[in-house]
Amino acid sequence: MIKLTDVRKSYAGKVVLDGIDLAVQAGEVVSILGGSGAGKSTIVNCINGLVAPDSGSVLLDEFSVANRKGLREIRKKCATVFQNFNLYPHLTNIENITLAPVRVLGVEPKNALADAHDLLHSVGLNEHADKYPAQLSGGQKQRIGICRALAMSPDYLLLDEITSSLDPEMTAEVVDVLKLLVDKGMTMILVTHELNVARSISSRIVFLEAGRILVDVHRDVFFSDAFLDENRRIKSFIASANGL
Amino acid sequence: MPTQEGFNHFDLMLWLAGLGVTLSVFLISSVFGCLLGTLMAIGRYYQVAVIGPLLFAIGEVLRNSPVIVQLFLVYFGIPMFFGIRITQFDAAILVLTANTAAFMSVVGLSALESVDREQVLTARSFALDEMDILRRILAPQALIVALPLTIGVLVNQAQVTSLISVIGVADLTRVGHILNQKTFEPFIVWPVIGATYLVISLAISALGKHLQKRVKMSGPLANQKETFAFD
Repeated sequence: MIKLTDVRKSYAGKVVLDGIDLAVQAGEVVSILGGSGAGKSTIVNCINGLVAPDSGSVLLDEFSVANRKGLREIRKKCATVFQNFNLYPHLTNIENITLAPVRVLGVEPKNALADAHDLLHSVGLNEHADKYPAQLSGGQKQRIGICRALAMSPDYLLLDEITSSLDPEMTAEVVDVLKLLVDKGMTMILVTHELNVARSISSRIVFLEAGRILVDVHRDVFFSDAFLDENRRIKSFIASANGL
Repeated sequence: MPTQEGFNHFDLMLWLAGLGVTLSVFLISSVFGCLLGTLMAIGRYYQVAVIGPLLFAIGEVLRNSPVIVQLFLVYFGIPMFFGIRITQFDAAILVLTANTAAFMSVVGLSALESVDREQVLTARSFALDEMDILRRILAPQALIVALPLTIGVLVNQAQVTSLISVIGVADLTRVGHILNQKTFEPFIVWPVIGATYLVISLAISALGKHLQKRVKMSGPLANQKETFAFD
């Protein structure tokens, strides 16, 4: 379980997270929605330890990000996929995927390669294994990013705006991969401002505003007319997200 | 009154000896200077407390003061203030190593900072340790940026070795002085000495170009046009 308790974070006096309480159970897919600057990505970065909260606790199973050993364990169990892919451009796609399993988990290079080929095959990119990231399209890069995360055999997956820089066709490619992961029961936290992506894979929606959780409800509730009529601000967010 | 003598085969031996000294000082100070400069760059990149600012300050002093002054201070100052005997050759090595290191620390830092910080954060999020990140993420990419700049620094340092003659090191320039005084043929002696430095610089440049090509051939930049400092 991922558990954030009263997490607060400010940058230069600007409050980004203002007392976040969030628990994500194994097997859940939670989408975090909200406008720009609401603190969505900061939540993800607090979980993977790239941002240290000013106060509050972040736990993943029995491990805490607050101590070095706990943070390392959390990073082994919880892989992140980033908005801008952040693939290593000097490594081939398969080297991108095998680097962390070999160096961090101690997987034999031969086995890591075989696993990586399986992952690439599952996302339809096996023929691109020995190419470099610069030779791929955005959607293909993001699928490599997902393979890199999955190669760590994580218990949890953090997805930070992973379709934001993709066109609709490429987004569909990535969403297809995410649906496969949902079917396999992967626990995921998806930060997005794309409602269709959230609707198609999430079990739960958390809506963030000015660093606070405004609502935390089941997906079907979130997108119901009755709920949106009661929550005008969310309705207007959805309307603007849909370009209405 | 000095008498004019012609050139003889001992002059060739003298030229070769001077060349050997120049190359020795250059090679030793370059190897240690590059190593030390790389360590300084890493220290500054990771903003190591106290050491980072200290390295910055040392580097600034070395880069922004004349090498000839540094040579005098080291050669005459170390025996005077520390009571340690130091040869001209050792003083030359010490000063040029430190000077090369100062310039290389700037090259190294720029090269490390040219790698997108997001890649480092990504690697950390995958629990890679800092040594792995440095070795497998930062260094290979920084090397491509650093190589042409390094060659530029080394070509410059090869010329700077000519200053060590002022503290009496028998390098190429010192040999030039000796031959000039002996033969009174400055327009033969100095063009030959100058051409020797030119050949050394071109050799460094050619080696750098070869290395740059090899590095690029093995990576994703294989098809990009080369940029080279000494072209």
